[in-house]
Amino acid sequence: MTAGKQAVRPLNTCLRCIRQPASSNVSLPAAPSRFFSSSTRNSEEAQLQKSDQFSDLDPRLVDNKRDEKRLIKTGVLPIGSRRRRAALRTAPDIPFEQLPYQCFQEARKVLQEDRQEKIRQIEVIRKRIANLESQDAAVGGETGVKEGRLRSMRNHLEELKIFADVNDPIVKKRFEDGEGDMNKPIYRYLADRKWRQHKRMVLMQRVTQMNLVPDVLPKIDPVADVDLAFGRRNVQPGEIVDSRVSEMVPRLRVQVFDKGERLVTVVVVDADVPVPEKDMFTYRCHFIASNIPLSPTNTSVALSRLDPKVDVSKEAPPKHIALPWSPPWANKGAPYHRLAVFVLQQAEGEIVDTAKVAKNTKRDGFILRSFMDKHNLKTVGITMFRTQWDEGMAGVMERAGLGDQVNVVFKRKRVEKLPYKKKDPSRYH
Amino acid sequence: MLLPRIYAPARAVIALSKASRSTIIRSSHALDALRFANAPFLSPTLTIVRNASHQSQGRANGAKDGPGKRLGAKKTGEEYVIPGNIIFKQRGTVWFPGENCAMGRDHTIYATESGYVKYYRDPVKHPKRQYIGVAFKRHESLPYPSNAARRRRLNMLATQVEPEPELQVGIPEGDIVVGEKIASESTVRAQPRAKAGSQLLMGKNYAYREANWQIGRAAERAGVKVREFVRGDRFRAWRKSAARKAANAERRGLRAKKRK
Repeated sequence: MTAGKQAVRPLNTCLRCIRQPASSNVSLPAAPSRFFSSSTRNSEEAQLQKSDQFSDLDPRLVDNKRDEKRLIKTGVLPIGSRRRRAALRTAPDIPFEQLPYQCFQEARKVLQEDRQEKIRQIEVIRKRIANLESQDAAVGGETGVKEGRLRSMRNHLEELKIFADVNDPIVKKRFEDGEGDMNKPIYRYLADRKWRQHKRMVLMQRVTQMNLVPDVLPKIDPVADVDLAFGRRNVQPGEIVDSRVSEMVPRLRVQVFDKGERLVTVVVVDADVPVPEKDMFTYRCHFIASNIPLSPTNTSVALSRLDPKVDVSKEAPPKHIALPWSPPWANKGAPYHRLAVFVLQQAEGEIVDTAKVAKNTKRDGFILRSFMDKHNLKTVGITMFRTQWDEGMAGVMERAGLGDQVNVVFKRKRVEKLPYKKKDPSRYH
Repeated sequence: MLLPRIYAPARAVIALSKASRSTIIRSSHALDALRFANAPFLSPTLTIVRNASHQSQGRANGAKDGPGKRLGAKKTGEEYVIPGNIIFKQRGTVWFPGENCAMGRDHTIYATESGYVKYYRDPVKHPKRQYIGVAFKRHESLPYPSNAARRRRLNMLATQVEPEPELQVGIPEGDIVVGEKIASESTVRAQPRAKAGSQLLMGKNYAYREANWQIGRAAERAGVKVREFVRGDRFRAWRKSAARKAANAERRGLRAKKRK
């Protein structure tokens, strides 16, 4: 971007108010000199025919529809949202250190001093932790006391690491641009805070209002952000999903906010399977996959690609999938089914034997509470969707081998009236 | 309070004293003068009325006796109820709806499931409120444990339903010619597949109806063909108009019969 271009940009913005320029991103000398005309000049149109004119369209900066289309035609997709691109266009790309605002620079100095102070404190507390660790447990008294002190000091250390960076404008910018490195505690902290501010609240509202909390698990405290999608279709928590969409295996994006690798098990449970004989509901398990590695930077869990098809001759037990995906279905007339997707963390260093799970687990009447107890699992993430009878459900059921259920329709049971007892007529005299 | 009441008589006293000094013996006490002034025989122009300071009629003293509103418990504890049974009528929320109960527009508590009425408190939900609930079994006590799965009834029956048959379209007579209904399998289907009931949408007036475009395609779906209009074909025009007239005459005749 040349300086001359930058200088005339405000002028160009003014011109845009009068009339959309032929191409705001191309070189400026071609800008119109006829301010009060709203039609294009023939010569301009002729110029536009040349394709090499759009070669300097910047995918980071195009901000109108026409330019985007041209760019896409050349095979390059614009980056980010149009709003962001427009903001970038108007904001000069000067690094913070060179911004000509005195107050801003003074404030940066103060923040940097504070950061140095925090770094010094971090060094001190690291030394103290090392000292305490090297000390004999018997010196300080009971072992529990020493462990408690160590724990609180480590917590304080983590706190200091965040305090050191949380006010840094560059960190803030990078996080907002989505360039934060999730291996660093500050970006994990910011992401966690952002998640808790809105997304988690919505999730918890859905989970409690639709009574997943007492029905499937006694309590849930999610600490990881879980996004559910079927193919390219993202699903908000609690959304009613078309049966033809949910027929395919979903895709999860699980963002954890604490450091380290861990293995997780993904379980999908239907909490509303009707049992007309007993006049009640039961559970059904639609999917179990175990031993899925997860870390702050490794967030994608494509359930369909977990176990690539190996040749049948080997007959090795699948590494991940214990129960393969069975498409959710609901009978006609039955109330909607809630399908809860749980991300359960396995205990440190434990691996779930999928072959055993596959053998011992029944899909119908699946109780998640006992499954979690048996395999020592802890809830980290949850999301949910709903399903009910729709146009495509009959086809989905046929394909899933449930053809006999297609014609089963649920109807309301008639409630018997209570016998009417005639009151004693004498009371009316 | 007292002062304004005194003003008027006092003013009267002063006026009197100014008018007829000779008739009144001056008293050293103001109250004596007042008493003197209030005496009715002294001044016929000064009449003093004691107004009621308290409303005696209407709602002021509280309506003493209206019709009873038949409030209170309609079902006792442990009594069997079915959905819709009123359990308690009240003004305001003396009782709150608990397990398997709901509250009506006038705070009436009624049952939403069949079972046994229980009156109870639930400190987990609210420390001060008292609830009315319906337990499924008589021996159960409410509230149910908050961390256990909810007890729910399906209240539905599974019925086998025959798949809906294809729509049978009556073959119209007269000028309309019925074309081939089913295309051979190798050809591409020109008409959209008619699925009865499956494409009904909720209309403006909460009634399920076909979309307008579907209604417009009905004839096409049924394979109805209309013979092309030929300009100047008087014979056909005469035939149509004759048929129309006959139909109208018949209709008129029906109407006349109805009137009788």
